[in-house]
Amino acid sequence: MMERRGLFLSLSGLLLALVLPLHLFFGFSPASLPGLALSLVHFEVNSYEDAVLLFQRLPRSVIAVYAGSIAAASGFVLQSLVRNPLASPATLGVNSGAALFLVAAALLLDADAAVQGLAALAGAITGFLACLAVARFAGRRNDPRGLSLILSGALVSMLFTGMTNALLLSDPARRADFLSWVTGNINHVYIDRLAMFWWIGAAAVLVLLLLARPLTLILFGEDKAASAGVNVPLVSRAAITAAVLGTGSAVAVCGPIGFVGLVIPHIVRPFAGNNLVHALPASLLCGASACLLADLLAREAFQPFVINTGLVTDLVGGIVFIVIVKRFYLSAGSREAA
Amino acid sequence: MLETRQLSAAYGSTAVLSDVSIRFPKGRLTAVVGPNGCGKSSLLKAIMGFLPLTGGDVLLDGEPVAGISRKKLARRIAYLPQECFCPDYMTLGELIELAGYARYSLGGGPTERDRALYRQVLETVGLSDRAGFPVNKLSGGQRQRAWIAMVLAQDTDVVLMDEPVNHLDMKYQFAVLELVRDLVETHGKTVITVLHDLNLTTAFADEVVLLRAGTCIKAGPVAETITSRAIEDVFGLKTQIFPRDGRLVCFPERTGSAGAS
Repeated sequence: MMERRGLFLSLSGLLLALVLPLHLFFGFSPASLPGLALSLVHFEVNSYEDAVLLFQRLPRSVIAVYAGSIAAASGFVLQSLVRNPLASPATLGVNSGAALFLVAAALLLDADAAVQGLAALAGAITGFLACLAVARFAGRRNDPRGLSLILSGALVSMLFTGMTNALLLSDPARRADFLSWVTGNINHVYIDRLAMFWWIGAAAVLVLLLLARPLTLILFGEDKAASAGVNVPLVSRAAITAAVLGTGSAVAVCGPIGFVGLVIPHIVRPFAGNNLVHALPASLLCGASACLLADLLAREAFQPFVINTGLVTDLVGGIVFIVIVKRFYLSAGSREAA
Repeated sequence: MLETRQLSAAYGSTAVLSDVSIRFPKGRLTAVVGPNGCGKSSLLKAIMGFLPLTGGDVLLDGEPVAGISRKKLARRIAYLPQECFCPDYMTLGELIELAGYARYSLGGGPTERDRALYRQVLETVGLSDRAGFPVNKLSGGQRQRAWIAMVLAQDTDVVLMDEPVNHLDMKYQFAVLELVRDLVETHGKTVITVLHDLNLTTAFADEVVLLRAGTCIKAGPVAETITSRAIEDVFGLKTQIFPRDGRLVCFPERTGSAGAS
């Protein structure tokens, strides 16, 4: 079994090692590949194709890896902590909160990119807290399977998304700048934002990896975790803060890429297990691969059109969402959460 | 040594323990016995700090437990809750490895010494060949031994167990309690366990604490504490108690009416 966990992690790494070059080089003529690889290694531009690779493809890849890995890791941690298989940054109001605050900061306060990023972080936290508050109001304590939390998240997301749309509609002159971003758009121009915020995601991932063991113990129940030496309130708060801020920083870069955070944990769990020591690294790798594949699909599948990555993840994720609901909530003898 | 001094605790406004003072001798197996809802589980939870104390203290070697950090406490006391829940896709080996968390450095893992301990623990509970097996696919008896293995892997001097033989058939009740007995005798651990069955108590425990309605009625060595009068006092049931093969046998009498008080 342990060997299987190691094998899955290696396979996840291998998958990323295959998907990343595919994402970078797909569509170039085979003859130009050696030259392109060389230009990537030396970071030199000698042709138009080199420029496309280094200034369009590479930034896109890096953003996709960032957004996908953080969404998947955050989703896994949120599902563990709120003990709900439908928990994820997208379903708990985190993404929509970050999007609303960023758009509001940009359109109402004329904020620059750095302040927009801060607003997205504040919005991520606000969205999550709003979701918790609505769930508590709806009597979450009497709802052991946590459906009210997910419904509250949906409600908060609808409200925030509606407000975001109202803001965009009220400003015809500038809405074009954000119209694409709010649907989750991995675009090379956002690399400047990534350069500004990458450390937030890196710090978040580091915190989650360091807390992997105590977080796993919390899955056994608060008393059992505490008796094994876990400071449950401190670890839970630190991990939720890291997951929410990490996701907020990804939204600040490329807008809300939904469903990666919901779906990837369900794919990873049967192979890597529920122990976050193994599952978190696997989620990071698989989330990155999933986002790269979604972006590749968005870029190449509907040529000559390039659609938004967020649309692809929403489409695929929506279908998987239904499968999860059926498996955990609607089928007879459905399984316990997480 | 672990002791409670005038311990009182409450769930919200409902008092569950009042003025409980007990000393749990080192290196002995103490059974906590009493009717349903008398505060047995609450006593263990109050010792662990999972219940807000409304008065009194829990002392571990003279030091108030409330002042010890979770991580330090976990190196001295292990606790087995009444109902254990294991997440899916978790192997026995992973379970055991998590138990040693309090000894690991931040982000670090088990040392070679820890791993040797885990192998030995699995051997002790007879599950050496099950390390790679998902915990939720073990049989009931194996799973209960797995939880005991998790407690052992924590490698503490004091072990608290809340009804470790619940839901087990007679064979496994004895197997598990023999194992617990072995912890005390060969490993010198101090074990405090909630038990429901008086005959299991007299067969395995050194000391007994009799609780009724949140107060300690009587505590001390089994032979002196378990008497017909004490059992009638605690359970409201007439019971003959007689020695047989070096231990006490409890034989409750029928009351003869379904609605007896």
